[in-house]
Amino acid sequence: MTDTVIVTELSKWFGPKVAVSEVSIGFGPGVTGLLGPNGAGKTTLLRVVAGLQRPSQGEVTVLGVNPRTDSTVYQRMSLVPEDEAIYERLTGREFVELAARLTRIDDPTGRAEAALGTVELLDSAHRKLGGFSKGMRQRAKVAAALVTDPEVLLLDEPLNGTDPVQRAQLIELFQDLGSAGRTVIVSSHVLVEVERMAERVVAMVDGRLAAVGSVPTIRAAMTDIPRQVFIECSEPRILASALIGTEGVVGVHVEDGQLRIEASDAGGLARLLPQIALDSGITISKVEPLDESLESVFRYLVEGRR
Amino acid sequence: MTLARHLYRRLMRKWRVIGLIALASVPGFVYWLAAFDAHEGQLAGLYSDIIAIAGYSFAIAALILTVATLREERDAGTLPYIYMRPMSRMSLAISSMLAAIAAVMTIALGGWLTTALATVAVGADISIALPGLALFVAAGIGYAAVFVPLGYLVPRSLLVGLGYIIVIETILAFAVPGLAQFSIWRIALSIYADLAPVFGAEAAEALGPVDAGVGGGVAKIAGTLLAGLLALTWALRKRDAL
Repeated sequence: MTDTVIVTELSKWFGPKVAVSEVSIGFGPGVTGLLGPNGAGKTTLLRVVAGLQRPSQGEVTVLGVNPRTDSTVYQRMSLVPEDEAIYERLTGREFVELAARLTRIDDPTGRAEAALGTVELLDSAHRKLGGFSKGMRQRAKVAAALVTDPEVLLLDEPLNGTDPVQRAQLIELFQDLGSAGRTVIVSSHVLVEVERMAERVVAMVDGRLAAVGSVPTIRAAMTDIPRQVFIECSEPRILASALIGTEGVVGVHVEDGQLRIEASDAGGLARLLPQIALDSGITISKVEPLDESLESVFRYLVEGRR
Repeated sequence: MTLARHLYRRLMRKWRVIGLIALASVPGFVYWLAAFDAHEGQLAGLYSDIIAIAGYSFAIAALILTVATLREERDAGTLPYIYMRPMSRMSLAISSMLAAIAAVMTIALGGWLTTALATVAVGADISIALPGLALFVAAGIGYAAVFVPLGYLVPRSLLVGLGYIIVIETILAFAVPGLAQFSIWRIALSIYADLAPVFGAEAAEALGPVDAGVGGGVAKIAGTLLAGLLALTWALRKRDAL
């Protein structure tokens, strides 16, 4: 599918500090998780894409135009900013309606009601935002972003402060938007959130792109880091000795009766394991990869960069 | 207009408005106190002297108010809500300037009303206070034109603005005649000087080498406003919004 957001050779620095360095990437319809530790450059990247900050070098196009020079793009792009930046003296309804009116959409009142309904804030919409909980504020910000029905939605840590139920609802909402063909870019430093909501992950470390793709794809590409595999079986020590020296197995650990294998070729191990078990009369009850989670992949990425 | 209305509402917080009107009312209170011992024939001249000198309190009120127009949005992180809208940067600049001018006019009116009430209280003819409104309005527009872009561009804009009023307008412009031509307060005072029935000696000293004249003063204020609008539009286009 065509990329709606294209970032080319983008760098952004503030004095001597480089926040984003030579990033080139495209974002298309669907949910993309922008992942990185604090200070990785996620927020800066989103702000530059949003047109709030100008690139020091390189360029950004959103829906075919440069957001810094063509403000009509804001009819089709919204941002949910980080933190609790919000108009505390406005009510939830006034805040969302303001967004609708400033974007000059038809029926701002009706659309604001619909957006508030989408994030389940209708009952509290008459209250001032200053009295909202963190989670409610986040939902109000999401409603203000959704009221214009954007094709590109940028979300900077949108789940901060939300409770588990709200989080699940918002994740489902973002996934629905992605499935409906919207480009949804969600930044987060919480790995579990990104893993749940995004089919594609963009990992950033120290202002640079560390990896792009689905989590299994990124992990598979890390050929220099052996896969960790946990094996539950009837005779761990016998299986361990059978695996030692086998091609593709670079480490075997038996700890508290548990077997952990480090394999440079996970596919080869998967083919080999049943045969060894059969030959040795060992019953294998569980084989589980230990480091294919986003958390493991991300840890490798961060450690590899530093 | 939606944006201008939003920014105006944000600026016009109750306690801020009350505080700034009180600050802008300083000339009125000073006049009321000073006029107790004055003869009837001195009241008009005294009014012009006091409004010309104590009127700097209005300049500070105008600074505090107008500098906040976009600075508060930047500092609070809410600027994206107004910046990321399908409107030209010039429209955004015009809306911001309109909001700031409308807000500062409220303060100007409050400050001027105090001086008008003071003239009534001391038994002077209220007509001597009418040109004072022109002074506050012209100064308010001029300061908005300078301080709205300053607020957007400079993080410690309130301090910088105070520096401008205290160092440049009250000290340097007094000592360096050429600088007086660029002093917003003196330009506004030149309009007042043309309209006031009596222009006192102290007021004339405050005006310095700037020629009195409504036409010239209005043209300079209009030019300042245009320059402020262009500077703000440039800043919105070229500088980071966050």
